[in-house]
Amino acid sequence: MANSSTPAVQIEGLTKVFRLPFKQEKVVAVDGLSLQVDAGEVYGLIGPNGSGKSTTMKVLLGLISPSAGKASIFGLDSGDTASRGSVGFLPENPYFYKYLTGSETLAFYGKLCGLSRKQIRERSDELLEMVDLTGARDRRLGGYSKGMLQRIGLAQALVGDPRLVVLDEPTAGVDPAGSRKIRDLVLELKRRGITVILSSHLLEQVQEVCDEVGIIFNGRLVREGKLNDLIAIEDQSEIVLQNATPQLLERIAEMVEGEEGAQLLRCGNPRTTLERLFLQEIKEGSKQGGEDA
Amino acid sequence: MDQQAQDIAISGKHRVFSLLRIWAISRNTFTQLVRMKVFYFMLIFSALIIGANLLFLSFTFEQELKILKDVSFGAMSLFASIFAIVGTALLIPKDLEDRTLYTILTKPVPRIEYLIGKLLGILLLIAVSILLMSLLFFAVLYIRQHGILAEKIASIPRQVSEADIESFRESIFSRGLQPELLLGVVAVFLKAAVAAAVALFVSTFASSTLFTIIVSLVIYFIGHAQALALDFYFAKGEMHSAGQRFFAGLIGVVFPNFQLFNVADGLTAGEVISTSLMARLVGLTAFYLTIYSLVSWLVFAKKEL
Amino acid sequence: MPLERDMEMEFKEQGFRDWSPGLSSRDQLTQAAFVGALGGFRSLVASVYHLKAHNSFVKKNWGEVERYRTVTASLQPKFWSYWDLAVWDMAWNAYGYYRGEAEEYSDDFKGWHIENIIMPTYLQKGIDYAKRGLEWLPDDYRLLKVIADIYDQKMGNAEKAAEWYLKASRKPEAPPHVYRAYAHQLTLCAGREKEAYRVTEDLYRNSGDLTLTLLRDLERLEDDIARRAARDMTYEQLRDAALAEDAGYLEMASFAGYLLEVRKDFSAAVDIYEKVAGHSQAPTFYRRKLAFLMADHPKKAVEAYQMLKTLALSDPAALRREDMSRIAQLESRLGIAKQKRIRP
Ligand SMILES: Nc1ncnc2c1ncn2[C@@H]1O[C@H](COP(=O)(O)OP(=O)(O)OP(=O)(O)O)[C@@H](O)[C@H]1O
Ligand SMILES: [Mg+2]
Repeated sequence: MANSSTPAVQIEGLTKVFRLPFKQEKVVAVDGLSLQVDAGEVYGLIGPNGSGKSTTMKVLLGLISPSAGKASIFGLDSGDTASRGSVGFLPENPYFYKYLTGSETLAFYGKLCGLSRKQIRERSDELLEMVDLTGARDRRLGGYSKGMLQRIGLAQALVGDPRLVVLDEPTAGVDPAGSRKIRDLVLELKRRGITVILSSHLLEQVQEVCDEVGIIFNGRLVREGKLNDLIAIEDQSEIVLQNATPQLLERIAEMVEGEEGAQLLRCGNPRTTLERLFLQEIKEGSKQGGEDA
Repeated sequence: MDQQAQDIAISGKHRVFSLLRIWAISRNTFTQLVRMKVFYFMLIFSALIIGANLLFLSFTFEQELKILKDVSFGAMSLFASIFAIVGTALLIPKDLEDRTLYTILTKPVPRIEYLIGKLLGILLLIAVSILLMSLLFFAVLYIRQHGILAEKIASIPRQVSEADIESFRESIFSRGLQPELLLGVVAVFLKAAVAAAVALFVSTFASSTLFTIIVSLVIYFIGHAQALALDFYFAKGEMHSAGQRFFAGLIGVVFPNFQLFNVADGLTAGEVISTSLMARLVGLTAFYLTIYSLVSWLVFAKKEL
Repeated sequence: MPLERDMEMEFKEQGFRDWSPGLSSRDQLTQAAFVGALGGFRSLVASVYHLKAHNSFVKKNWGEVERYRTVTASLQPKFWSYWDLAVWDMAWNAYGYYRGEAEEYSDDFKGWHIENIIMPTYLQKGIDYAKRGLEWLPDDYRLLKVIADIYDQKMGNAEKAAEWYLKASRKPEAPPHVYRAYAHQLTLCAGREKEAYRVTEDLYRNSGDLTLTLLRDLERLEDDIARRAARDMTYEQLRDAALAEDAGYLEMASFAGYLLEVRKDFSAAVDIYEKVAGHSQAPTFYRRKLAFLMADHPKKAVEAYQMLKTLALSDPAALRREDMSRIAQLESRLGIAKQKRIRP
């Protein structure tokens, strides 16, 4: 069924080149990137700072136009205002009108989505409850904390009842409890069948919520796939020990050395697998980049 | 099939141009400015015109009323133009800097609607502040002209006849609260509206508030002097070659002739302005608003945010 | 832009957007005032300069007053009051100030200089301001009138005063007294008596408002006509004219005047004057004349007093201030009781 329906997001050969004003230099922010997100999926776009995550999202949302390639949402081209009818977006480090209260903010964005007065009232009650801001609904945003702003931003993204939600670094600058809350919200969206794209470099959360992950580096999508597939490394095994003495570890190392073809790669406290993968991709990417130059 | 139908339904739901969305943006802009406490300026305005009143009591009533009108119109024009330029320059570049613009434009809002909404919001603020100022102005003028009449009657030692009172009233009130003053008020608004449109245009390509304010002010001042400059170069409107006409026309579009809007200067001197001229002033304002909105849109539609 | 140029032209035609700082006022303005005037605060800048002019007036710095008045008037040339104030400051205030100076130095050359050079200059400045104002406000009778006022009150030039009062009176908003001022000045022009009489008589017949000046002027002019007639015509001519079927009161009065002055025939003169006073067209001052003529004659004194009493009640304007003492003399001569006497 997923195959027969239009993908929620389709990006093909997307390239974005920024020309710096008054300089000859060009910055290639996104370089021939293609990806597809099916409806109902939670897609994680991960990559280090400056790898092109935000740029990709901006093109997808029509904030900037692509230098080459194209992006579409539910089959509608990103350049078309109508494509934004079914999207909610939370930019990174969002900043709203600080003179408005929480509920006024939602009312404002609701009106932009063409909701009626009654719909706005119902939607904002529901969303404020959902993001845990009912108590702060009549306070001005100027007095909101970073986490509260992030949550009102999320509510704002959801006010138009979107089928696709785009979250740029939703957990940046939010404390662990806050990011846990946001993760729960994403899972809630997923449960409701809403497609989500989120970007992050905090891998733990991506790992927990994403169905599919794309690793982006220097504007290129270097790896993509189901999370489990990416994590599984067939020719490697992991032994996790508890209370191992240095002597025991030495003995294991000796045993491995004795074995034909086997090799002990490293020894220490285990990392999350996705993070390891991520670092590895970066290492390869920069090696490649070095060769290119 | 089913999915396609749904897609069509989605695109059909979207209105290409929606006054409701524009109104939402205008209201929001207005609310924002109100909550920035801009209306405290009314205190300064009140102080100015009440001060003007107290300072010049010793002059002839004609001069006293003229000074009151001059100060009021001057202050109205000043505040309205400042709101137009600074208000516009404060809001749009700020939306961009704060990335609030992202959240608005990623709703189904065409960029032209955002621009028109902002412009209307500023115009609404200007209109409301001019309304408040003129109410106060008219109230003070009304009180003053009655005060002057009472003083005049009291200053005459003998019994004053009904006919004399009538002629005093006639001569004092004809310099006081007259319906023509409304034309001056309207012209103040029109001028500020054009200034706001100029600032809107500048802020679409400027990257900062300060830059927008400076460039808009430069256009504003050149606009006041452009007729003078053109007069200087082409004596008494005689332009011969097509090149000269084009040049003059270009200057005219880039720098609106703000001098034309200074109707109040004439009104306070007791001049009359014809309705047809006033109608054309409105027409000229509409023309500038349209041109500047369109050019702003051309720049803004392609803008990388 | 064509539309703009168009509107500007029309503004100019209507005299509305009338100000171009290219005028002489430009170098008189400070930088700030110039920018202000350009930036839409022209009226306000004009008011400020008006206040400055007032300060200079208080300091009696007439050069400054003149400069600031020029600025205010050229900033808002369609504001009548600014021209008027400029005229007033020159031809009345500065002029009056220098008159005081001239008196102080009346024996010196300086006094002569002030009187003959400076004072006339300020009158001329006043006239020049008014004339410049008239270029902007050609239909303003007040500026025309103020020129006439200068000729009348400051220069004693009745010819010129009459000329400008007449111009002023032709403007639609001119009140009737302007035309009367013209008529009055005309009576003061030597050699224009006929014209003056025509105008004055017409006013007497047709304007509802008979001011004292008008009545005195008319009386003076008619006396003059009678005197001339008595001088220029023969007895027969005068008699025939006065006794003709359709004779006017003026012919009669001329004849009566001749009888009285040349023939010294008192009773014949009184007879004719009675006809004059009874004439339906004759102004009431003939009755006064007749009454006082008779008052000097013992036989007619009682009748004369009766006429004066009637006149005092019905038309007090026909009597003059100095008449009161003559009436009082007459009353005491006739022994009129105190409470029955004529009280004005
Ligand atoms: N408007 C712009 N003009 C010039 N260069 C830009 C512009 N926007 C982004 N870039 C460049 O494009 C590259 C990608 O930026 P982008 O913001 O997409 O990265 P990111 O993956 O979102 O990084 P981060 O994790 O720090 O948010 C960067 O090198 C950045 O400097
Ligand atoms: Mg980013």
